[in-house]
Amino acid sequence: MKAFPDMYHDQYSRTIFGFWMYLLTDFILFGTFFAVYAVLRKSVLGGTPPDVLFELPYTLWQTLILLGSAYTIGMGGAFAHRKQASKAMLFFGITFLLGVLFLGLEGRELARFIASGNSWQNSAFLSSFFTLVGTHGAHILFGLLWMVLILISVAQDGITAQTLRRLTCMRMFWQFLNILWVFVFTIVYLMGEIQ
Amino acid sequence: MDKFHGWTVSTKPLHIGLILSVILILASYRIVTYYHLTNVGLIMGVFALGIVQALLQLVFFMHLGLENRPYWYMITFLFTALIVLIVVGGTIWIMSNLNYHLMP
Repeated sequence: MKAFPDMYHDQYSRTIFGFWMYLLTDFILFGTFFAVYAVLRKSVLGGTPPDVLFELPYTLWQTLILLGSAYTIGMGGAFAHRKQASKAMLFFGITFLLGVLFLGLEGRELARFIASGNSWQNSAFLSSFFTLVGTHGAHILFGLLWMVLILISVAQDGITAQTLRRLTCMRMFWQFLNILWVFVFTIVYLMGEIQ
Repeated sequence: MDKFHGWTVSTKPLHIGLILSVILILASYRIVTYYHLTNVGLIMGVFALGIVQALLQLVFFMHLGLENRPYWYMITFLFTALIVLIVVGGTIWIMSNLNYHLMP
């Protein structure tokens, strides 16, 4: 009896598919945060409304930087699959720098909000905003730390079955975070301009 | 090992994905800064651009929908998308309904 060929049976495929399942659960987690934000976004309690608080050109740069990093990590992943370790390291390194830049810009923006009296304690809108953007930022921070560990193991071992698996998980994680940011940019920042 | 028709080693899909994503980001940014989302059509348009960009990146960056049978990546994604749709849509629906009925 010949059924469909089972292409999910080797260690690589099982790990990658398992990691994909994790990303989908994260998708549900962020879905709930988006739902909360959508419900609470008008509850500013007399504070600064989103269209005054957000600086769209600043966020546009953040968005383009994170998109660029999703592109460079894709390049790194492609070179890793071609077993070109040094080129893969280069592109993962560029991704790391872009990620640091993104996180720095985000931290600066959130610090500006808090300094201007718009902390997460000030209204339901700000609570849901800080939860959503803060969780995304925490994922980015975790991803950057993880990337350092993976780059160390690639520098030591080169592209092996194990490091290729790690690099691919890292690439999927990062590109998934960029897809989430597309929704943060659209729903939180762009739609914040709705009166 | 490669279920994705060579897209894991190819850089061309990445170039296409990057260029199309930049165009979509700038388009939605332009709509918002120029027209200020004054009607429902513009709001829906900007939201649609975001959805298109997300799908585009799922295909060109994460290679969703390129695998052969059995389509486990696609099936699990569609099921999760359904769950998210129910959770988010249901929350917004029930909360706006509650808000409407509790108006003073």
